[in-house]
Amino acid sequence: MKKLWLPGTIVGLIILVAILAPLLGLMDPVRQDIANRLAGPMNGSPLGRDEFGRDVFSRLIWGARTSLGVAFASALIAGVIGTAFGLIGGWFRGWGEIFTVRSMDIILCFPPVLLALLVVTLMGPGAGTLILVLSVLYLPGFARVTYAEVLSARSLDYVEAVRALGAPTWRILFRTVLPNVAGPVLVQLSLAVASAVVLESGLSFLGLGVVPPSPSWGLMIRGARATMEQAPMLLLWPCAALTLTILAMNLLCDGLRDAVDPRTPATRRRIRVVDRLLPGLLPAAAPQTEAVLDVRNLTVEIATPRGAIRPVQGVSLQVFAGETLAVVGESGSGKSVTATTVMGLMPPIAQAVEGQAWLGGRDLLRLTEPELRALRGGPMAMVFQDPMSSLNPVHTVGAQVVEAIQAHQKISSSDAWKQAEQLFKRVGIADPQKRLRVYPHEMSGGMRQRVMIAMAIANRPKLLICDEPTTALDVTVQAQILDLLNALKRETGMGMIFITHSLGVVSEIADRVAVMYAGQVVEQGSVAEVFGNPLHPYTRALLEAVPEGDEPPVGIPGIVPQPHAFPVGCRFAPRCRFATPACEAAPLPLEEIRAGREVRCIRWHELTPTEAAA
Amino acid sequence: MWWLLRRIGVSLALAWIVATIVFMTLHMVPGDPAEILLSTGGVAPDPAAVAELRERLGLEQPLLTQYGQFLLGLTRGDLGTSLVDEYPVLDEIALRLPRTLELIFAGTILAVIVAIPAGTWAALHRGGVFDRIASGTAAFLLAVPVFVVGTVLVLVFAQMLRIMPAGGYVPFAQNPGQHMTLLAMPAVAIAKGLAAVVFRMTRASVLDALSRDYVRTARAKGISPTRVLVRHVVRNALTPVLTVLGLHMGTLLGGTVLVEYVFNWPGMSTPLLRAVEARDYPMVVGIVLTISGLFLLINLIMDLLYAALDPRIRTA
Amino acid sequence: MNAPLIEAVGLSKTFPGKGLFRKGKPVQAVKHIDASVARGEAVGVVGESGSGKSTLGRLMLGLMPVTEGSVRFDGKLMNEASRSEWRQLRKRMQIVFQDPYGSLDPRRRVGDQIADGMKIHRLLPAEQRRQRVAELLAKVGLDPSHAQRYPHEFSGGQRQRIGIARALSTGAEFLVADEPVSALDVSIQAQVIQLLSELRRDLGLAMLFISHDLPVVANLCDRVIVMYLGRVMEEGPAKHIFANPVHPYTRALLSATPMLDPEKRAKRILLQGDPPSPSNPPSGCVFRTRCAHARDACAEAVPELRPFGDGTARVACIRAEEII
Repeated sequence: MKKLWLPGTIVGLIILVAILAPLLGLMDPVRQDIANRLAGPMNGSPLGRDEFGRDVFSRLIWGARTSLGVAFASALIAGVIGTAFGLIGGWFRGWGEIFTVRSMDIILCFPPVLLALLVVTLMGPGAGTLILVLSVLYLPGFARVTYAEVLSARSLDYVEAVRALGAPTWRILFRTVLPNVAGPVLVQLSLAVASAVVLESGLSFLGLGVVPPSPSWGLMIRGARATMEQAPMLLLWPCAALTLTILAMNLLCDGLRDAVDPRTPATRRRIRVVDRLLPGLLPAAAPQTEAVLDVRNLTVEIATPRGAIRPVQGVSLQVFAGETLAVVGESGSGKSVTATTVMGLMPPIAQAVEGQAWLGGRDLLRLTEPELRALRGGPMAMVFQDPMSSLNPVHTVGAQVVEAIQAHQKISSSDAWKQAEQLFKRVGIADPQKRLRVYPHEMSGGMRQRVMIAMAIANRPKLLICDEPTTALDVTVQAQILDLLNALKRETGMGMIFITHSLGVVSEIADRVAVMYAGQVVEQGSVAEVFGNPLHPYTRALLEAVPEGDEPPVGIPGIVPQPHAFPVGCRFAPRCRFATPACEAAPLPLEEIRAGREVRCIRWHELTPTEAAA
Repeated sequence: MWWLLRRIGVSLALAWIVATIVFMTLHMVPGDPAEILLSTGGVAPDPAAVAELRERLGLEQPLLTQYGQFLLGLTRGDLGTSLVDEYPVLDEIALRLPRTLELIFAGTILAVIVAIPAGTWAALHRGGVFDRIASGTAAFLLAVPVFVVGTVLVLVFAQMLRIMPAGGYVPFAQNPGQHMTLLAMPAVAIAKGLAAVVFRMTRASVLDALSRDYVRTARAKGISPTRVLVRHVVRNALTPVLTVLGLHMGTLLGGTVLVEYVFNWPGMSTPLLRAVEARDYPMVVGIVLTISGLFLLINLIMDLLYAALDPRIRTA
Repeated sequence: MNAPLIEAVGLSKTFPGKGLFRKGKPVQAVKHIDASVARGEAVGVVGESGSGKSTLGRLMLGLMPVTEGSVRFDGKLMNEASRSEWRQLRKRMQIVFQDPYGSLDPRRRVGDQIADGMKIHRLLPAEQRRQRVAELLAKVGLDPSHAQRYPHEFSGGQRQRIGIARALSTGAEFLVADEPVSALDVSIQAQVIQLLSELRRDLGLAMLFISHDLPVVANLCDRVIVMYLGRVMEEGPAKHIFANPVHPYTRALLSATPMLDPEKRAKRILLQGDPPSPSNPPSGCVFRTRCAHARDACAEAVPELRPFGDGTARVACIRAEEII
C-alpha cells in the first residue's frame, strides 16, 4: 500500500489538472501571437511562448487533457470489450474461446505503431482514429488476462463449490469469478493507459496523431525540435511532463500489481559483524562421541516482519552409523528447519543462534561456507520431499548426478558417467544407460526420487538426511522407496535421519524416533519403546489419532501454536488433557530417564506408572 | 522434429492471416476506399482521379479476385508500385530493410549485453546499492518515450556538447568509422527500453530461480557457487527473459520508426512516413507486411531458442 | 441394506486430448463403473493417483458430463432431469474438497459463503438464514460468531469444518468427500474424521469418501471400492476387504500401507514400476503389467467384476481362486 501512495497522488493530480483545464483561467492554448515568438517567461506565461507565440504552460496543461483523454477512452473501451471477451472465452471455452480470445491474438502479430500507421493511412490522422486504433491494440491484453484468470478460477475448488450448490452461471460469473479477475484487469487498465499515452505522443510526434494546432505533448516536442538551437527549454517542458506522467503511471502499475498479487517480500537480515564472529570465538570442545551426527541444543532464529521467531529451540539429536533416526512431527514442529540448518541450507534470514552440530569432529554450525560445501554432497547428503521441483528441469538427470560426483571426486567425465550408471543400477533404475540421458519431466515421480537418492549416495555419505522423501508419492511407490533406503543403509552402514509426519512410515523404517512438537523434542527413544509405551501425552495422543484398527481415531483438540505464540511452559499444555497449572508455569527440561530415552513432561511419572517403576 | 515443423506451420498460418487482415482493412473502411484515400479535409476529390485510383488498385474487380491476386503477388514477392512515383515497393524495401535490421540488431545486442549481467547482479545483491540504482534507472528508462530519449540525445550531444553528429547515414563500405559513429546514438535510443525490460525480467527470474528447490539441491551437492549460479540459476532464468524479449520486439520495431525519424536514419521509416502522409496505400501495405513478417520471424526464432533452452517444450 | 439413494450404472468418462492443432491421446479416467450409496451408508473409494476416483465423485454429483452410463438419484435419472429438477437435486447432494485453502473464497466472509446455498435456493428468510448459519457452525464444532470472519483467519482443520458446514447448508442427503483429510496433520485429520462420522450418524447422510488411505477408509466406511486406472478391482464390505483382500492390487496396496504395528501388516508385496498412463492403459486387466500373478490370459479380456467366495466381496481377477 505504501508503494501506491506517491505515484497515486501524482497521477491523481495530473488527472485533476487535465479535467479542470478549462476552469483554470489559462491562456487560449491555440491563440497565436507571432510578436512574442519564442519569448522567454513573461507575465501570464510562466514558461514562455512557443514558435507561434502560443503560451507553453497552457499548452502543457491542455496537452495533458488530450493525452489522458485519448488514453483513458481507448483503455476503457478496450477494457470493457476485452474483459467481456475473456469472460466468455474462458467460461464457455470451445468456439467461444476461438472467437473471443484466439482471434485477438492476431492483433499481437502486428507491431503496434505499424498497425496504427496502417489505419491512419486509411482514415487520416485525428483523435478519433487514435482512440479506435488504441482500443483495438489493447483488446487482446484484456481478453488474455481475463481469460487466464477465468480459466484458473474455473478450476478453483470454491468456484466448483458454488456450482455444486446449484448457482446459475451468471451468478457464478459475477459474484465469484469477476471479483477474482478484477485485480488483474485493473492492473491491465493502468498498463494500457500508460502505454496509450506513449503511443499517442509518439504518433503525434510523427505528425500522424492529434491534428495541429490542438495541444499535445507529442506535437509540442515535434514543434520544439525545429527550434532546438534557439530555445532548448521548449523541448524540455513537454519531455519532462510526458516522462513524469508515464513514470508515475508505471509506478502505480507496479504498486497495483504488488497489491493484487501479494507475495510477502522476505526481509533481509542485517548480519552484524559481532554475530558473524561471536559463534566462532567460543568453539566448544569436540565431544567424545560415536555418533555420526551429534546435534546439541540447537536453536534457530528466523527474522520475520513480525519480529524474530525461534522455530527450533534446544533440539539435541544423535545418529549412529548404520541406524535410522526418525524425526516425526506435524507441520510447524520444526523438523525440516532442524535438518536444513544442519546441512547449512537455510536462507540467510535464518541463523543457528545456539548449539552445536558435530559431524566427524567438526561443528557444522561454525564452518565457513566453503568448508560446508566440501561436506555437503560428500560426507553428508540430503534427499528432499518433492523430486520434481528438486531436479533442474533443463539438464538431463545423468548430468545432474555426474555434477554431484565431480563436485567431490577428481575424476574424468567418462569415469563419472560410468559411476553414475552404476549408481542408477544400484537404486533400481532399469536400463540405466538410456535413463541417464533423460530429462526429469520424462520420468515418473518414483523414478525421480530414485535419481535424487542416487545423487545423494554418489559420494558414500556417512550421514543421509531424508526430508519427507515419500510424501509426494503413491503408497505402492512409497513402499519401493522405503525398501530401497533400508537396503542402502544396511549395505553402506551410513547413519540416516528420516523426517516424516507419518507414524506408520516411522515404524517401517526407523530404529529410533524423536517426536517433535512446536520446535522442541518432546520424546525420544527406540521405536518399539516410544510407540509401545509412549511417555509424553502428545505422543500418546498422536498414536491415538492414527486411524488403524477398529477404534475410531481420536483427534487432538486445538491447533499447533504458531512460532510467534509458543506457550511459555509446556508447549503442548493448551491441548493436553492432563495439563495442570504447573505445566504452563515455566519451560520444561528434556528429562533423560535412562540412556537413549528422553521425555519433556513433568507428569510422566504419574501418567505412566509402569515405566516410572521400572 | 514434429514440434519444429508444427511451429513453422503456425508461423506461416499467422503470416497468411496477417496478410489477409491487411488486405481487408482497405475494404472494411466504410465508403469507397479510393475516395477516402484521395479526400483531404472534407473536400470531395475529383471523380476522374477516383476512377483512376480505383483502376490502379484493382477495386473494379470482384473482391475474391482482388484477394487472390494480392496473395499471388505476395508469393512472388510482388508488392505493387507506389501510387506517388510508380516505384516498385519491393525495390524500395530491399534498399531500406538492411539498414533497419542493422539498427534493430545493434539495439538488441546492446540491450542484452548490458541488461542480463546487470539484472543478475541486482538479483544476487537484492536491496543493495547497485540494485537500487539499477532498478531506479530501469524504471526511469521505461518511462521515457523512445522519441524523447532520441530528441534529448540529439539536443545534448549534438547541439550542446557538439561531440556527436545529430544524425544521418554513411554506408559502412564508404566510411566504417563514420558509419559506426552515426549508428551509436540511434542504437542507444532503441536499446534503452528493451534494456529496461530485460533488466527487470532478468532480475525477477533470477530471484525466482534462486528460491527454487533445484537450486537447493545443487547447493546440497556441494558444487561451487559459480557453478550453481551459471548452470542452475542463470540457465533457468534465461527462458522467461527470452519470452519477454520476443514479446517486446513489437514495441521495438515500432520504436525503430520513431528513432529513424529522429536521427534521419534512412531505413524503412522514411518511405513509410512519407507514404502514410501521401496516403500511398500500396507502399504502406508493403512496409507493414514486411515488418510484421519480420516480427513473426523473430518470434519464431525466439521460440526455437526457447525450445533449445527448455527440454520440456520439445517433448510437450 | 436398504435401496440405494444414488446409483451409478456403467459410468465412463473420457477426457479429450489437449491441443488445438494436434490431438493428444484421450484419457480414460473412468471406465464402466457401477457404484451405489444407500442412505446412512458410507462408501469408500480407494486408489492411487490416476485411478479416477475423484472423477467418479464428480460424475456422481453431475458436476461434469458423463461420457457413457447413467446416474440415478432417489429414483430419478440425472441425465434426464429438467432444469428445475436439477435445481432441486443440487440441494440434496454436496461436495467437500481436499484443499482447505482453495475451497473457500478468500474475499468473502465465511458466514456469507455458508449462506450461499440457502440464498440460491431461497430456502429461508434472511433473518433465519443467519440463525441457520450459526447452527451449522456449531454443528461442525466452530463458534457461531466466526461467521463474520474471513477464511484466512482459520487454520486448515477449521476451514475444512467450514467447507463441511457449507455442504450441509442446503440439507444435503448425499455427500462426496474428496480426500477431505489428506492435506491435514494427523491430529487434525482425526478431528475431521470424527466429525464426518458423527454427522453421518446424526443426519443419516449417504457419503462417498474418496481417499488414498486404506486405513482411514476401513475405519470410516461400510463398503469400499478399490480402483486402479479407472476400473474397479475389488469391492465389498470395508472391514472384510481390509482383513481378507483378494485382488493382487488390493493386497499389494494394503501391504504397502505403512502401519504402526508391523505385525498387523501382511508380508510386503513390492509392486514393480509405476502405474501406466491412463491415456495408454494395458489391454485386458489394467493391472497386469505390475501384477506378479499375471498370465497371458490376463491380457486378452477385461476381467469381469464377479462375486467371490461367499459372495460378500466382488473381485475383477480371473485368477482369484488360484492365487488366494
